[in-house]
Amino acid sequence: MGSYFSAERFINVFPKIISCISVNFHIVLWSMLLGTILAIFVAILRLKEIPVVKQILGVYISFMRGTPLLVQMMIAFYGIPLVLGNVFMNLFGINLNRVEPVVFVEIAIVLNEGAFLGEIFRGAITAVPALQTEAGYSIGMTGAQTFFRIVLPQAFKVALPHYGVDFVGVFQNTSLVFTLGVVDVLGKAKTLGAATGHTLEGYLAATLIYISFSLLLKGVFLFIEKNMKNGSAPAI
Amino acid sequence: MSFNVQSFIEALRSAFKYAPVTLELTVITFLVSLVLGTVIATVRHYRIPVISQILGVFVTVYMGLPMMVALILYNLLFMTFYNDFATALNISTPISEINPIYIGFFALILGQSCSLSEAVRGAFRGIEKIQYEAGYSIGLSKIKTLYRIIFPQMVPILLPGMQNSLIGLLKASNLVSAIAVTEIMTGALLPSLLYYSYLESYVAAALVYWIIGIGIEVLAHFAEKRSGQYLRRINSD
Amino acid sequence: MIELTGVKKAFGKQEVLKDVSIKVNDGEVVVILGPSGSGKTTFLRCINFLERAEQGKMVFGDKILDLKHVKKRDILYVRRHSAFVFQNYGLFAHKTALQNVMEGLTQVQKMNKAEARKIAEDALSWVGLLDKKDFYPAQLSGGQQQRVGIARAVALKPDVILFDEPTSALDPELVGETLEVIKKVAKMGITMVVVTHEMSFAEDVADRVIFMDGGVVVEEGKPGEIFYKPKEERTRQFLSRIIPQDAYVI
Repeated sequence: MGSYFSAERFINVFPKIISCISVNFHIVLWSMLLGTILAIFVAILRLKEIPVVKQILGVYISFMRGTPLLVQMMIAFYGIPLVLGNVFMNLFGINLNRVEPVVFVEIAIVLNEGAFLGEIFRGAITAVPALQTEAGYSIGMTGAQTFFRIVLPQAFKVALPHYGVDFVGVFQNTSLVFTLGVVDVLGKAKTLGAATGHTLEGYLAATLIYISFSLLLKGVFLFIEKNMKNGSAPAI
Repeated sequence: MSFNVQSFIEALRSAFKYAPVTLELTVITFLVSLVLGTVIATVRHYRIPVISQILGVFVTVYMGLPMMVALILYNLLFMTFYNDFATALNISTPISEINPIYIGFFALILGQSCSLSEAVRGAFRGIEKIQYEAGYSIGLSKIKTLYRIIFPQMVPILLPGMQNSLIGLLKASNLVSAIAVTEIMTGALLPSLLYYSYLESYVAAALVYWIIGIGIEVLAHFAEKRSGQYLRRINSD
Repeated sequence: MIELTGVKKAFGKQEVLKDVSIKVNDGEVVVILGPSGSGKTTFLRCINFLERAEQGKMVFGDKILDLKHVKKRDILYVRRHSAFVFQNYGLFAHKTALQNVMEGLTQVQKMNKAEARKIAEDALSWVGLLDKKDFYPAQLSGGQQQRVGIARAVALKPDVILFDEPTSALDPELVGETLEVIKKVAKMGITMVVVTHEMSFAEDVADRVIFMDGGVVVEEGKPGEIFYKPKEERTRQFLSRIIPQDAYVI
């Protein structure tokens, strides 16, 4: 048993692996930023019920929700250079085949989040009682005023827990990126394992890192949610 | 744009051939996890001493572990320790004869049981205390009340979440490809080893997953319609 | 002066308003009574366009509007010169009582915050809730929420205040304090249209009572006439179910 796991090797390998967490964070932050913006558009467009747009968005959301992320990343990686390769070469002089794989990973996640978060936002906006909108109208506020000052802040509170869960989910999904050669936490564990012939310590380190950061992120969101509770709980 | 339709169709055929593996992984895991998850949730809901605390900590911590990491870790642990384990228990099956799909099942069931247990706990919170009291008041035991009164009312609350869980599981099953199990995606890739047509294979795989996902949505739609009957009010005046 | 004529509205196949014409003079308190389904709430909501009538004409002050083809600008005008008190209070859940009253003043009437705050505090104190100004709706009782809603309406100094069954959602012991505040509003001389079930309140406060049933106006007149000398059979039937028989002289 002793030869399989060595505390010394573990301590040796841990810092090297955890230093790669910046790759995971980079992916999560950029994807969530762009994904959230995309999702707001998707949610608003879906709520407006514009004929053709609604169908197209419906198909887009169904596809992103119904297919595995790994497959989506591969399609992005192989498909985008194929489809847009010429366009990018001629217009921008960029060779898509030379672009780092991490970019395609992020594109796939952004598109994914546009669909998932879009539905979360749409649900949250619909959850705000119609009475709130009517009250806004009744004092003479315009549609836009009512939406941004009355509905949106309340929808935000409804969406927050789901958004938090989704955010942690994206972080956990970065465990897939090593399949495209990106050197993140898991990727580093793999390469170190291959190089040294001792894989257990590395993967245990990765396990520890993922669990700790997931719990940390969950804690952060719980903290934010607790502080947003003003006005929801009765004082009586 | 050079998308080879021929290899796409080959990949599609191959993907469908391995769809049963994916379906097997998805459905069996779901059913087993539903039972396990309900047990965990029930124990925690009734606050059975010691066990609920342990389960509470376990579930919370375990849900921080991504499926991919879990699969790779379990696979590694299995490969590393199996031989010692087999000699100790006098099992004669060599490691090469054990289908890695069992590791897949293990990881998926463990993960799904945790997340379903959370969903069931949520559903428990949705049932008012008075339902329990009504059951006890007519003489039903705790257990009888649970499965005759409480569980049936939890079903309509759980259904929408179950649909999402099932589709999530369908997609998670894709990851067993990392531990040498051939499912829809790796199945679709088999022909491409000859033709270098990766994109066509991945698109084919996506299509098959998508179709199955839509199938699940349709089934869930019918289930929801039937289960919530007693909740629907009859329009008055 | 507000006058609606020939208002028609259907929800799907159900005709809720068949041909309703009601006039409200400045400073009048008009109470609309009727059984559920009579269309009285729908009619009220048509006035400030929370429901859109299919047909009808509206005179609002010096504006004449065709309810079928009304312009967004005119809807906004009516809403900015009227106020609505909801059955379920309609307070902005994420804002304090004070912020609720200030919202219309700062966002719609474009007052500066200090001025709006003064007016809002006066309004809250007028309904007896100044000490609760920093409370959120969820922390207030139903009656308190309703009074904040009334404060919000009054602070806007509208041409008319519309009340949609203001006490129907309240526990019985809270109805009294809310009605007292509404009576205060009436005493101020503001034009009011009130849909309610509270008969004695209607008798006290109304200048005119309108009885609606089945989507039409059945009868209207002074409270004394309607309650004690109804002309129509339908009115008599409705009242007999609500007012004890001996309080009622034919």
